[in-house]
Amino acid sequence: MSTLDDRPANPAIGEVRPNKRGGVAALIQSPVAIRLGALLILAIGLSLLHLSGRVFWQGLVINLGIFMILVLSLNLASGFTGVFSLGHIGFMALGAYGSAILTLPLAKKADYLPNLPAWLASIHFDFYLGPFPLGFLLATLLAAGLVAGVALLVGLVLMRLSGHFVAVATLGFLVIVRVILFNADNFTRGSRTFSNVTPYTGLWWVWFWAILTLYVVWRLKYSAYGRAMLAQREDALAAQAVGLAIMPPRLLAFVVSAFFTAVAGSLYAHFITSFSPTVFYFDLTFRVITMLIVGGLGSVSGSVLGTVVIIALAEALRRLEDVTLLYGMSQITLAVIFIVIILFRPNGLLGRREIVLARLFRKGGEPSP
Amino acid sequence: MKTKFFIPVVLLIVSLLLMSCGGAAPTPSSSSSGASGEAASSEPIKIGGGFALTGDESALDLPAANGAKLAAKEINAAGGVLDRQVDLIVHDSQYKMDVTAQIAKQFVEQDGVVAVIGFTDTDSVLAAGPTIQTAGLPFITAGATSPKIPTQVGDEMFLACFGDNVQAAAGAEYGFNNFGKNAYLLWDKGVEYTTLLGGYFKDRFTELGGTIVLEDQYDDDATDFSAQIAKIKALPDQPDFYFISAMPYNVGPVIKQFRDAGLTGPIVGGDGYDTPDLLSVAGPAAENVFFTTHALIDSTGGTDGIKKFIADYNKEYGHDPENAFAALGYDTMYLIADAIKRAGSTDAAAIKKAIEETKDYAGITGSISFGDSHIPQKGVTIIAVKDGKFTLGAEVVPEKVPAP
Amino acid sequence: MTLVYYAIQQTVNALSIGSLYALMAVGLAMVFSILRLINFAHGDLMMVAAYLAAFALFANLPLGLAVVLIIIGTVIVGLLMERIAYRPIRGAPDVATLLTSLAVGQILQNGMLLTTRFLGQPIQIAFPTPDVLNGVVAFGSITVPRLNVVSLVIGLIALVSLSFFVTRTVPGLSMRAAAEDLTAAQLMGININRVIALAFAIGSGLAAIAGLLFAVQAGQINPYMGFTPVLKAFIAAVIGGFGSIAGAVVGGFVLGALEVILTALPGIGDILPPGMVSPSTQALLQQWLPSSLTGYRDAFVFAALILMLLFRPNGILGQPNREEMR
Repeated sequence: MSTLDDRPANPAIGEVRPNKRGGVAALIQSPVAIRLGALLILAIGLSLLHLSGRVFWQGLVINLGIFMILVLSLNLASGFTGVFSLGHIGFMALGAYGSAILTLPLAKKADYLPNLPAWLASIHFDFYLGPFPLGFLLATLLAAGLVAGVALLVGLVLMRLSGHFVAVATLGFLVIVRVILFNADNFTRGSRTFSNVTPYTGLWWVWFWAILTLYVVWRLKYSAYGRAMLAQREDALAAQAVGLAIMPPRLLAFVVSAFFTAVAGSLYAHFITSFSPTVFYFDLTFRVITMLIVGGLGSVSGSVLGTVVIIALAEALRRLEDVTLLYGMSQITLAVIFIVIILFRPNGLLGRREIVLARLFRKGGEPSP
Repeated sequence: MKTKFFIPVVLLIVSLLLMSCGGAAPTPSSSSSGASGEAASSEPIKIGGGFALTGDESALDLPAANGAKLAAKEINAAGGVLDRQVDLIVHDSQYKMDVTAQIAKQFVEQDGVVAVIGFTDTDSVLAAGPTIQTAGLPFITAGATSPKIPTQVGDEMFLACFGDNVQAAAGAEYGFNNFGKNAYLLWDKGVEYTTLLGGYFKDRFTELGGTIVLEDQYDDDATDFSAQIAKIKALPDQPDFYFISAMPYNVGPVIKQFRDAGLTGPIVGGDGYDTPDLLSVAGPAAENVFFTTHALIDSTGGTDGIKKFIADYNKEYGHDPENAFAALGYDTMYLIADAIKRAGSTDAAAIKKAIEETKDYAGITGSISFGDSHIPQKGVTIIAVKDGKFTLGAEVVPEKVPAP
Repeated sequence: MTLVYYAIQQTVNALSIGSLYALMAVGLAMVFSILRLINFAHGDLMMVAAYLAAFALFANLPLGLAVVLIIIGTVIVGLLMERIAYRPIRGAPDVATLLTSLAVGQILQNGMLLTTRFLGQPIQIAFPTPDVLNGVVAFGSITVPRLNVVSLVIGLIALVSLSFFVTRTVPGLSMRAAAEDLTAAQLMGININRVIALAFAIGSGLAAIAGLLFAVQAGQINPYMGFTPVLKAFIAAVIGGFGSIAGAVVGGFVLGALEVILTALPGIGDILPPGMVSPSTQALLQQWLPSSLTGYRDAFVFAALILMLLFRPNGILGQPNREEMR
C-alpha cells in the first residue's frame, strides 16, 4: 500500500508557488489562469465541433463525456474509499428511467405508459426558459436527487461491508434494480423498449456536467472529507484511532457518486432516446470499470485519461475490424490491453498520482515539491 | 517525471485518434453525394447494414447479416442494380446501444449510404432509428417485429416481416379453432418480442372467448422449466393446448422438458420456433408442435427459392441457415434492391416511395406488400412438426388483429 | 395430482436443480479458497468445455473417451489461463484479480466466436445430447430428468473424493495449508505455484463436467452461454460461505430450493383443487401471490444473498461473526 504523501500538494486550495519570473509569465503560470485556459481550449474545441455539424464526431465526444462522468463518479465511490462497487450502473438505470419518465411528452406518455399513476401521468418537464430546456435540467436534478436518496439507503446497508463482500453485494443491487425495471411495467414498459425520449442531450449539456463532476470530485478529494476517505481506505483502524469516523466519508462518497452516475443516466437517456433494462447491465459495468482501472483507481486525472484512452482505442479497433472482418477481435484486444495494464502498471496508467495542469507548463528540471 | 510520463500518453491518444480518422478518410467526401443520387454511375450503390455481430444478440443478428451479405453477392453477380454494383457496408454494433447510435451516424455521415437495413431487436432499431430518420434515409429492419416500431421511429422506418400482433392473432385463432378454449400461456419475461407475442396472444384469445387457465413466465436465461411444468401438472383442469412465447435459444429445451414430464398436448408458438435447432434439440418431443412464421424454410418441403437459398447459404458459410433471421436478412436486401430498381435512382425519397409501393414482391419468406402501414401485409404460415420435419400446416390471414 | 404430489415434485425439482448448481459452485470455490480470486471466467471455461464436447460428439467419439478428452482440454485451457493471466498478478488487490477474470472471460468468449467462424460452424450449435443424459426417470407421476440424477451422482462422487483428497493426501493437505495462509505455506516449503496450478486443474476439471451437463440442459451452446452458470455458481458459493467446498455444495442446493420455491409459490391460488380452501382465501392467494411474482425471483435471491453477507458473511456453514470493517 502506498503512503498518502505520493500525492501532489493541493493546487485546488490555490497555494502560491514561489515563482521568480514574475509579471506576465507568472500570470499565465498561475493555476487559476491555466485552468481557465484549459476550459477555454475545451470550449473552443467544442464550439468548432458544434459548428462543423459532424454528427458522428459529436456523438463520439458526447459518449466520451457521458463515460467520463460515469468513470469519475465510480472513482469517487470506489477509488477514494476502497469500497468497490459493481452496482453503479443500477444508479445509472434509475437516473435514465426517472428523468425520461419526467420529460416524456404527455401524448407519448399516454400512449406508451397508459398505466402510470395519475399524478405522474400529468407531469411533464418540457418547459423552456427561452431556448434553454429548463425542464430537462430539473428532471435530471430531480431524478439524480431521488437516486442519491436510494443510494443513501443502499449505502447505509452495504457500506458496512468491505473487499469482495461489497463487490458481491453491489452486484446484487444491480441485479435487483434490473429485475425491478423488468417487472415495474407500469413505469418502465418492462422488457419493451422505452422510446421517444426527447433528445435534449447535446455537446454542451454533457460537457457542462462532465466539468462539474470533475470539479466536484477534485474538490472533494482534497477536502477534509476527502482526506478522511483516503485515510480510512489506507488503514481503517488507524483512521479510527485518530478519531475519524468510517461511515460518513464512505457514505458521502457513495451518495455523491450515485448522484452523478444518475446524471449520466439522464444524459444517456436523452441522447440515445431509447433503452430497455437490458442496456444497463454487466456489459456497461465492465466497460466503465475498464476505463477506471486503466486510468488509475483513486486518480482524478487518471479517470479522464482512462476514459479518453479506452474510447479512442475502442473506436480505432472497431474501425480496424470493419477492414479485417474479424468481428470480436477488438474486444479481445481491449481485454488483453486491460490485463497487460494490470500486469505492468497494477495501479493503472497514473496510479494514484494526478496530472496537475500547472506543472505541465513548467520546465521538466524543476524539482517537485 | 510527470512531464516525462505525460508526453507519451498524449502521443498515444493523438495517434489513436488519427488512426480513427484515418479509417474514415476514404469516405467523407461522398457523404453529401450519396443521398442525392447524382454520383457517377460506375460507383457502387452503398447500403448500410447494421448488425450486432458480437454480443448477446449475435445468435440472431449474425444469421441475418449472413443472409443479407449472400443476397448482396448474388445481386452483384447478376449485374447489380441500375447497372451499378451494390456495396453492403456492414458495421458491428456489438449490441452496445451507444455504438449502435454511432454506427447509424457513421452510415449517414461518413459512408454516405442511400438506405439502411439490419438489426433483429427493437432496442437496436430504436437506438439507430432517429439518426437515420433525421437524415431522411429509408431504414428496413430485418428481424425486429414490434408493430409499434414505425410510429416510434417515423415515416422512414419499415419492417421486413409482419408485426407480432399479426402472428399472435393467427396463433390464437388457430389454437382456438383446432385445439380448444382453454390455453396455458408461458412467456419469457426478459425480451420484448416474447412479451409482446404473449400479450397479443392473450388479447386475441380472450377476445375469441377462450380462457387462459394459467399464465406463467421465466427468465430469458432459464434452462430449467421443471418448476413451471409442475405447476401445470397440478392444475385441476388441464389446458387444451400450451402457448409458449420463447426465443430461438429456449424453444428446444422448453419443449423437450414439457414432453419429458408427460405433457403431450399441442404446443403453439411464434416465429422464434423457426430454427432447425428445435428439431435437433427436442427430437421426437417436437411432434405436435405448431408455430406461426414467415414461410416453410426447409430443404425438402420448401419452395424452389427456399431450396436454392439453403443450398447457397450452406455453400457460402459451411452450414445451413441457423434460423428464420437468415432468410429475413436475405429478403430484406433483395427488397431494398428491388425498390432501388423500381425507383430508377438512388435518391432516398424515391427509394422510400418505391418501398411503400412494393406490391406482391415475391420474397422467399412470402409475398410482401406495403399498404398504408410500413409493416408488410404478409400471410402467416403455420408450420406443424410431423415425423421430425417441418410441414406446412396452414396459410392464414387472421380475422382480427389486436391494435399495436 | 394433489397438492402432496405437487410438493414432492417441486422438492425433487429443487434437489435436481441444486445438484447442478452445486457442481458448478464447487469448482469456483476451489480456486477461491486458495487465491481469494472470484474467477468469473469459470463460466467461460464451462462454455469451452461445452464446445469441446459438441465437437467430440459430432466426431462420433465414444462418450467415455469424449469425456476424458473434454476434461483434458478444459484443464489445459484452465492451466494456461492461470499461468498467463493470473499468476503474474498474484497478490494484486482483490478487485483487480476479479476484473482480470472478467477480461479473461471476454477473451474466451470472443475467441470462441472467431473459432467457430473459422471452423464454418453456426453461431449457436444444437448440443448433441448423449442418450445416457436424455429423458427422465419416473416414479409414478413424479419425474426427474436423468441429467440431474447424473449430476447428483457425479456431484456426490466429486465431493467425497475431494474431501478425501484434501484431508488424506499430501497435495491436498498442502492445498489446505495454502488456503489457510499462502505465505506461511510457502515458508513451510510448499511449492505454492504447484498447489495453485493443481487447484486450477481440479477446478477446470469440474468446470468441464459442469459445462457438459449444463450444455445438455440448455440444449444449445453459444460463446456467451457461460454468464448464467457462473452467476449461479457464484451465488451458491457465497451462500455456502466462499471458499468452503462443502459450503458450495450446500449453497447450490439452497439456491436451487430458493429458485424453485420462488417459482412454485406464486400462482398457487390458480392451481389449488376446488373446495380445498375457502373461496375468499383462494382470492386472497390469487391477489397476493400472482404468478407474475415469479418475475421477481432473482431480486429475492439476491436480496437473500445480501442479507447473508451482512449477517453470516462466512456462509451457512461458517461462523456467524460479522465481517468487520477494514
